[in-house]
Amino acid sequence: MSRTTMRRRVAAASLAGVAVLAAGCRGGGEDPADGGGDAAGSVATDIGVTSEPCPEAVNQDTGCIYLGTLSDLTVGPFAPLGPSIVEGQKAFWNRVNTEGGIEGYEVNVTEYVRDNQYNPQVTNQVYREIKPDVLGLAQSLGSPPTASIVDDLTAENIVTAPAGWTSLYLFQDIIVESGASYCAEAMNGVDYAVGEYGAKSVMSVHLAGDFGGDAAAGVKVAADANGIEFTNVETTSGTDNQAAAISQILSQKPDLVVVSTGPADMATIVGQTVAQGFQGRFLGSSPTWNSALLKSPAAPALQAKYQLMAPWGPWDADTAGHEAARTALAGVTTPNESYISGWIWSYPMLAALKAAVESGDLTREGLATAASELTEVDFEGILPEGSGNYAGGPNEAASRTTVISNVDPTATTGVTVAEEALAGPTATEYDFTGPCYEEVDLG
Amino acid sequence: MRDVLLTAIRGIGFGSIYAMLAVGFVVIYKSSRVISFAQPALMLAGAVLVSYLAGPIGFYGAVLVAALAIAALGLGVERATIRPMIGRPVFVIAIITLGLDIAIRVVVNAFIGSDVRNVGDPWGLSAVDVFGLPVQERYIAMVLVLVVTVGALFAFFQYSRYGLAMRAASLDQETAMVQGVSVGAMMALSWAIAGGLAAVAGAFVGAGGGIEQNTWIIALKALPAIIIGGLDSVGGAVIGGLLVGLVESFFATYQGEYLPWLGQNFSLVSPYVLLLVVLLVRPYGIFGTREVERV
Repeated sequence: MSRTTMRRRVAAASLAGVAVLAAGCRGGGEDPADGGGDAAGSVATDIGVTSEPCPEAVNQDTGCIYLGTLSDLTVGPFAPLGPSIVEGQKAFWNRVNTEGGIEGYEVNVTEYVRDNQYNPQVTNQVYREIKPDVLGLAQSLGSPPTASIVDDLTAENIVTAPAGWTSLYLFQDIIVESGASYCAEAMNGVDYAVGEYGAKSVMSVHLAGDFGGDAAAGVKVAADANGIEFTNVETTSGTDNQAAAISQILSQKPDLVVVSTGPADMATIVGQTVAQGFQGRFLGSSPTWNSALLKSPAAPALQAKYQLMAPWGPWDADTAGHEAARTALAGVTTPNESYISGWIWSYPMLAALKAAVESGDLTREGLATAASELTEVDFEGILPEGSGNYAGGPNEAASRTTVISNVDPTATTGVTVAEEALAGPTATEYDFTGPCYEEVDLG
Repeated sequence: MRDVLLTAIRGIGFGSIYAMLAVGFVVIYKSSRVISFAQPALMLAGAVLVSYLAGPIGFYGAVLVAALAIAALGLGVERATIRPMIGRPVFVIAIITLGLDIAIRVVVNAFIGSDVRNVGDPWGLSAVDVFGLPVQERYIAMVLVLVVTVGALFAFFQYSRYGLAMRAASLDQETAMVQGVSVGAMMALSWAIAGGLAAVAGAFVGAGGGIEQNTWIIALKALPAIIIGGLDSVGGAVIGGLLVGLVESFFATYQGEYLPWLGQNFSLVSPYVLLLVVLLVRPYGIFGTREVERV
């Protein structure tokens, strides 16, 4: 190596060193991990909040609150839904920012979106990546992935909005859930069918775990409460794997079948059994519906025999919140209920952020305290008044209303409301002492 | 008796799909000694293509175009990613096919979106009366398509120059090369055939129920079928596929009633139980070639 080259390299290294030092001495604030400044003037902040505006901020004079997203975006079982949920929440926070933000802050939910692949290991890995930069999580999709990080979320006070309705969330204080659990929803469904159709026997056809198992537990509780016969049929996902469930329905002929599977599996079960002469009714848990089923061979059977249970009204529902969501999501070419869900799951986080800013403490701990002290969340009419009471424990936090919808090819997402805010006696009186799918013995 | 027959028909229907997929696995295995885990993605890609084309050109035209397109995709995948790995351990190539499967599925999923896509089949859930039995038309179609495709494949192997060359290459690559057979081209052809079969199978998987992003999992049922039939036997793959379909169907219908102590959904495990039984009796599968080891 020549002497000149050596000198140049030393000079370059020195310059680089000076640059690093200069960067180190620069006033913080742009890096979300720095805790940033205080846009509102007297609000304490730590992680995931900056005095610098958000990337693509509506108002450049505001600070930025960064919320992470862990969703199933590519290869997991809920990958068909994850991107729509993300878009829904993006539209929600965009509206918040456009309307002035939260007391000097805008909220960014696009910088730290990660694909959890519905895999606990992957979730843990991507969570570690974004954890140093976010105040909370705008979305954590799936309870098994969320379970893999929930201890850390709790320890670090990272308030998290879930994407799901398992009753487990009632018992995870750092999670701010919205809407009735699959369990309460199923209770309402059975109560409804007993009253409406005089059902004297019910079969729960469900996937295992915190979704299907939760719904099945609700069916069992309501069947016992109504004194009707209950049959438990566990199935697995895959349209080719429904033969056993179909055989059970056809041989036992229950008056009501509550289906808690994915849409294609549900359509297979309903279509096949009705085609073979089954006369009973079907109620589907909220994830069973997809408007594309109207083009499937099962469509006539669905129109005749199936109703959807859901924690809130479908896309076309007549509430101020739905109206706002439809306006914000006007550019969506093929609407589905996931957009609306992404929107609605964001309300509790907004309420918690507002409360934290008002209390002058937008640190993680401040946000967790604010969330835990919420006694009501304004869902803009989507959920009944009094919903979102996280201050009083699981039974107060538990939503207990369900919307029953009929299949309607003229509706935007193929379903229209048949029964609004249904709160049956079983769900209303039920005492949540643990996740339903762990507490209830299906026999 | 009526239920037994209907259960058997359903089993043979789905078994025909498994058989078609299994044949694809075997064709690739025979040419390269690799089990291609990209078959599920190729099946899904074919089904998605059919769902898009069935409207404009009809179901049958869509199946034909999809089969040709996915065959071309298989050809391209082999040329771009598998051919450069010739000579490397087959385990490495198998892992590459796993990666291919995920990559192709991610792209295909974007075309499926959040919806259940209808493949536009003409049968739906309709049934016809066959000797007093209400047999679903799609099951009949599944069996017919298996007979036609596998029949054509056997004829191809038996009577065409390329078929003969493929058989020669699968028996002994070096000797085949000496005889002027392009072993590389035969491998490419095997991927094309497997891709075409996967696409046809995908279209029929969607018949009556549609497809969604998770439909690819069905293709994995071909794995016990190829082990049961024998990894290197096309005929074995057909028999294996049909057996898997039948066993699964009978367990789905009757296990809850007669063997409830096995728990729910034992039908999903039943093909693997059959696999274990077959391997205990015939370690190389029903029609598999017994390996000769010099000691």
